[in-house]
Amino acid sequence: MDLSAFLILDDGSVWPGMAFGAQPPQMGELTGTSMSFDGEVIFNTGMTGYHEILTDPSYAGQIVTMTAPHIGNYGCDSRWDEGSNPEGPVMAARGLVVRAVHDGPVPQGRISLPEYMKAQGVCGISGVDTRALTLKIRNQGSCNGVIVALAPGEKLEDLKQAATRYLATMPEMGGLNLADDSGSSQERVLQPEGHPHVALLDCGAKANILRCLERRGCKITVLPPRTSGQRVRELAPDALLFSNGPGDPGALDAQPALAEELLGRLPLWGICLGHQILARAAGAKTIKMRFGHHGVNHPVRDEKTGRVFVTSQNHGFAVDESTLPEGMTVRFRNANDGSIEGLEDKKNCLLCVQHHPEAAPGPADSEWIFDAFLSTLKEGPHASA
Amino acid sequence: MPARKDLNTIMIIGSGPIVIGQACEFDYSGTQAVRALEEEGYRVVLVNPNPATVMTTPGLADATYVEPLSPEYVETVIAAERPDALLSTMGGQTALNLTLELMEKGILQRHGVEVIGAKVESIQKAEDRAAFKEVVASLGLESPRSACCRSLAAAQAMAKETGFPMIIRPSYTLGGMGGSIAQNAEEFDGLVEKALRESPVGEALVEESLIGWKEFELEVMRDASDNAVVVCSIENIDPMGTHTGDSITIAPAQTLSDQEYQRMRTAAIDILRAVGVDCGGSNVQFALQPETGRMVVIEMNPRVSRSSALASKATGFPIARGSAKLAVGYTLDEVTNEITGETALAFEPALDYCAVKVPRFETEKFPSAYGALGTQMKSVGESLALGRTCIEALNKAIRANEIGLDGLEELRVGETEEEHILSSAHPRRLQAAFTAIKRQGRGCVPALASQSGFHPWFLHQLALLAELEHRLSASGGTLNATLYIEAKRFGLSDQRIAALSGAGVDAVARLRQEKGLAPGYRIVDTCAGELEATTPYFYSTWGEDDEQDGLGKDAVVIVASGPNRIGQGLEFDTGCTLASLAWQKAGRETIMVNSNPETVSTDYNTSTRLYMEPLTAEHVKDVLKKEGSQRVAVQLGGQTPLSMAEALEEAGAQIIGTPVEQIRRTEDRRLFAEAVERMGLCQPRNLSATSRQDVVKMAREIGFPVLLRPSFVLGGRSMTIAYGEEELEEFLAQGIPATPESPVLVDEFLEDAYEYDLDGIADGKNLYVGGILQHIEAAGIHSGDSAAVFPPYKSTPEILQSMREAAKAMVKEFQVSGFLNVQFAVKNEKLYIIEVNPRASRTVPFLSKASGVDLISAAVAVWEGTDLKTQGLVDESGFGEGSCLTGWAVKEAVFSFDRFAGLDPVLGPEMRSTGEVMGIGASFGEAFAKAQAAANAPLPAQGRVFVSVNRRDRETIYPVVKELADLGFEVCATRGTAQFLFEKGIFAEVVLKVHEGHPHVVDHMRSGRIQLLINTPSGRYAQMGEEDIRTEAVSGKIPYTTTTSAAVAATKGIRYLRTGESGAQALPRTAGFDLRS
Repeated sequence: MDLSAFLILDDGSVWPGMAFGAQPPQMGELTGTSMSFDGEVIFNTGMTGYHEILTDPSYAGQIVTMTAPHIGNYGCDSRWDEGSNPEGPVMAARGLVVRAVHDGPVPQGRISLPEYMKAQGVCGISGVDTRALTLKIRNQGSCNGVIVALAPGEKLEDLKQAATRYLATMPEMGGLNLADDSGSSQERVLQPEGHPHVALLDCGAKANILRCLERRGCKITVLPPRTSGQRVRELAPDALLFSNGPGDPGALDAQPALAEELLGRLPLWGICLGHQILARAAGAKTIKMRFGHHGVNHPVRDEKTGRVFVTSQNHGFAVDESTLPEGMTVRFRNANDGSIEGLEDKKNCLLCVQHHPEAAPGPADSEWIFDAFLSTLKEGPHASA
Repeated sequence: MPARKDLNTIMIIGSGPIVIGQACEFDYSGTQAVRALEEEGYRVVLVNPNPATVMTTPGLADATYVEPLSPEYVETVIAAERPDALLSTMGGQTALNLTLELMEKGILQRHGVEVIGAKVESIQKAEDRAAFKEVVASLGLESPRSACCRSLAAAQAMAKETGFPMIIRPSYTLGGMGGSIAQNAEEFDGLVEKALRESPVGEALVEESLIGWKEFELEVMRDASDNAVVVCSIENIDPMGTHTGDSITIAPAQTLSDQEYQRMRTAAIDILRAVGVDCGGSNVQFALQPETGRMVVIEMNPRVSRSSALASKATGFPIARGSAKLAVGYTLDEVTNEITGETALAFEPALDYCAVKVPRFETEKFPSAYGALGTQMKSVGESLALGRTCIEALNKAIRANEIGLDGLEELRVGETEEEHILSSAHPRRLQAAFTAIKRQGRGCVPALASQSGFHPWFLHQLALLAELEHRLSASGGTLNATLYIEAKRFGLSDQRIAALSGAGVDAVARLRQEKGLAPGYRIVDTCAGELEATTPYFYSTWGEDDEQDGLGKDAVVIVASGPNRIGQGLEFDTGCTLASLAWQKAGRETIMVNSNPETVSTDYNTSTRLYMEPLTAEHVKDVLKKEGSQRVAVQLGGQTPLSMAEALEEAGAQIIGTPVEQIRRTEDRRLFAEAVERMGLCQPRNLSATSRQDVVKMAREIGFPVLLRPSFVLGGRSMTIAYGEEELEEFLAQGIPATPESPVLVDEFLEDAYEYDLDGIADGKNLYVGGILQHIEAAGIHSGDSAAVFPPYKSTPEILQSMREAAKAMVKEFQVSGFLNVQFAVKNEKLYIIEVNPRASRTVPFLSKASGVDLISAAVAVWEGTDLKTQGLVDESGFGEGSCLTGWAVKEAVFSFDRFAGLDPVLGPEMRSTGEVMGIGASFGEAFAKAQAAANAPLPAQGRVFVSVNRRDRETIYPVVKELADLGFEVCATRGTAQFLFEKGIFAEVVLKVHEGHPHVVDHMRSGRIQLLINTPSGRYAQMGEEDIRTEAVSGKIPYTTTTSAAVAATKGIRYLRTGESGAQALPRTAGFDLRS
């Protein structure tokens, strides 16, 4: 833990700290793109839930800054893993930046965060002025960065040069299609005797989405991200849920095309990236937000009932309201900034949300949205008698 | 939903006097509520007999009453003001209980008053333990295994089932009063009986012990549309077994996984829904068994509370303000959080720092009462500090506690004592744990965790601190900037770094100077930086960026009064708050520095900027530097700011008002004695003893009785009146040092003198006297503990004039600019100067309210350059004086003796009261009777009076007893007193003293035969039995007078109750001051 490390951003700013978890790369290793130490540096304001965040596939390609200063306090437990893809990595996030990591005792049966990260090959940096970093990201927009270590005898200035050169070769998150690589490559069925039958287009689905559906008795067919409309029709599920996932929704082609093809033929649901895919399929555009929403405390108003829920959020893109097609109504809205948090198209049995009703981490206030998904099966033109 | 249009006038009930368990957090919540409702255009009527509060400042509410908080008096206010609704949730347990009483007596129904905030049914569901348990069970949640018992037998049956230890709590009391832990069957029976007696409904809860479990509190708000947010989670660092008010706590919770936290969060919201809290804030307490994760619900409060004030300050989320808005119909998403101006109240705060609260105990005043803490709250105040890490915040918060600790220091006790402290709920337990870790290293954490009950995570933080401190100690006096900054990041003070490293204070100062090292200031923005918010609320940290520029040289820095303690309480916070508002009204920006989370002064909108920082010279100097201002106000916050005035001035600060060297002259005994002589005034003879032999010698020289006290005390700590050599020996036996550095002060004690308080404002030349208060108790009782009356009721015009002249002389002598408080004593028509305080005193808010002239805004105007003549407060001769606009105004002290079982509640030179009340009336009797009722010690209108007076007082007491007899009271007395009364023609039943056998006086008290006691002790050693009488009087709430003058006053009050007309009188509007500017 006494290894001095640095988070270096693509604008050349250097954030000193101490390494934990996997050993960060040294100057010599910063060559080519194959090593993939870099990531988009983002922040999350949740005060609990670091384990769920690090293992959430939506954080693929990102270095997460936790704004809460003490991280790792209660250790890690693999039962909290949020990755649902057996082929995928346990930890999707590329790195973790904190003010004070806990490397002391953790409750029995758990392992410490630094150990868990080390086992998963993810490096972290502690002792960083995370508030200053957060304000920078907030004001300048997210940027790319890399966590590196200074080898004995090397100069920080040289390391900085090497890191910024390395980062210059990295693509920006805008325009990046990560969903295709995050979802599972194989179809699989969960709870085969369940009902109704929900197909899940896996763009990097969180495990708790599957658990929420399982708890409601559903049969779930997990589909790879580039599944064709033909295949979905063969399976004849009662509904298709577009999952959350990483990257820019604007860079995706297969998924919006699939949604467009199936719109009106099948109830379509979406969560986070899935919501953005459905909006695009219906003709709306997505835009990169200035700050994004990254926390577990955002109030969302259900415009239908006026009720407000505290939600878990993690998105840097949003649906542009001015581009919404006719028939598509804003069902949910952020009570702070008024941005779109969910859409509904009754005629086409479409319902999707920008936030995370499956929580993990975050409040369970909006888990009822899974019930709302299921109730579209009874209400719409596809209602099975 | 928008605000309700069908309401016009809304009444708010305050919490009354400050007592343990109910302190200035309710001034904060009430003040926020009044403002929030007035913003919406409602007319607000306030009832609160506590004159020390900000909320009762005339001009804040539309009408302010200081009537006692009992149904009869409050009904007179309702009849006069005809409110449409009563907001019940802002005045703590007192207001909730009063609301229930008003409802039960049909008073609210009769006057058509709707209860808003928490509905009566919800209050009952939350407060009735059985009903609440049912609610919890209906949600599939667990309560501790327990039973509500109305008899000892029922409790015993329960104990048999569960096993010991068991917790016993009386139902319907505030702050867990009367709660206790029984380790075995013997203890159990006595404690159950006591609880049954203390509960107003004769019911006690007996439950399984959760000692050692983790304890959490969630602050929740819910609106009428069933929206809910959790504002804050608070984890008690002290595990279950210590009352949460007595626990060191941290926000947010640190040791809960997301799953555990979300389960708790959902449970808390479900509970609010089931109880029916649908327009306001509540707190819900949970316990979690560390090994199994079993979660039980402890309790909920369906109102704003001490912890909601703490949560508001810890997060920047205004719970009370929000609750008031919800009570009139708004939903959470419709109310903007003013601190960000960006987010709705539906946005749950995210913290990027830790907020640690440390309770403040009066271990020196009530030493016997603090052996171990328990389920009954004993702390009198608290300090809050924010830091980026737990340890940084903890070190700051302990320092901010102002108990002489420079942070988390090792205990200096033997290992046996340390072991004992570690295994008990002791106020010094965390220090003991740190001591052990520092000695043994981090390897001892697991063993220490099971011994002390502290969670290993917290102990690990202590280990990190211990390791840092060892590195400092090993640095061999060569401190470099890197190590210094690292130490600062752990929250260590310069002084402690200097001591640990051996570098010395000067070297540390030099290092800072040379390297330009300074703290960075962070803002509390409720969103962890996610949104752009410009907020006025700051805390310091080290090695990080600074946010926002300073306000510059024109801004005024107000150093406030820190945690509440006996002798320095709410009245000083009110002074700071009102001064800040007055300055802003005059167009000047203000910067408040304080560490007390309960207060209005630490509300984010009281000042232009707020710094939640410990009140030490180091922290204040850093704030001055950051803000680029040198103007500091030290006269408002009591002794705390005054004691750092010199250090601030040395660092270049410009102290506003009376010059520092003059302040020093009033505080230094030798200089002060010289000044008194120069002015031709008189002091009781006084000497300073620098050795123990000296104390004896000087006492003999002055002649007994003498007043003895260590120098530099606040609120008369360890003060004793010695009537002879024996008491002198006893004083010295307490181990009080008498050295040249810390001498013992030996004063002539003026027995049977009358004491006075004069409060004035001066501009260097002219003097405006706000008023002169006469103490009702005779000299020897601390001025803070004595009832007092304005105007003086037993004084000659000549002696009052001599006080004015003396005060005028002092203005010139000490170049007073701002406040002047003088304490006088009069014996045989001779005037003595007891003390001079060049600062706002405890009585300033009281006098401002009674006289209708706000002394604080007058002082601020003086400091802004408007002299008293221009203000129109003094005549051509340069003198002016206030008069009591309400006729008579009585201030009565309120005690929390019922918190300290077995403590002798006798009054003396050492201050012990925690709060005060005000009674106003057309006659002295009315004002006194109301003050007594407000102090929750109402005078009886009829019944039996018990009289036992020492020989000396007999002649004086005779007319009093005669009058009581004439008013129809039956009289009983001890043998000697009865004999005397009989000779005078009054028949008195003879009652046995305690040692004379049964039934004795205490038996009569218990059986309800005695309604009033007049008992004057002789000397410090009361006769055998008197302590029992006093103790029983406190627990049986029987009015008890220990001086003849108090007995006279009580008799006048009783005469009023028998003959006077009762009516409510609103406080007069204060001249030239409007809080709603």
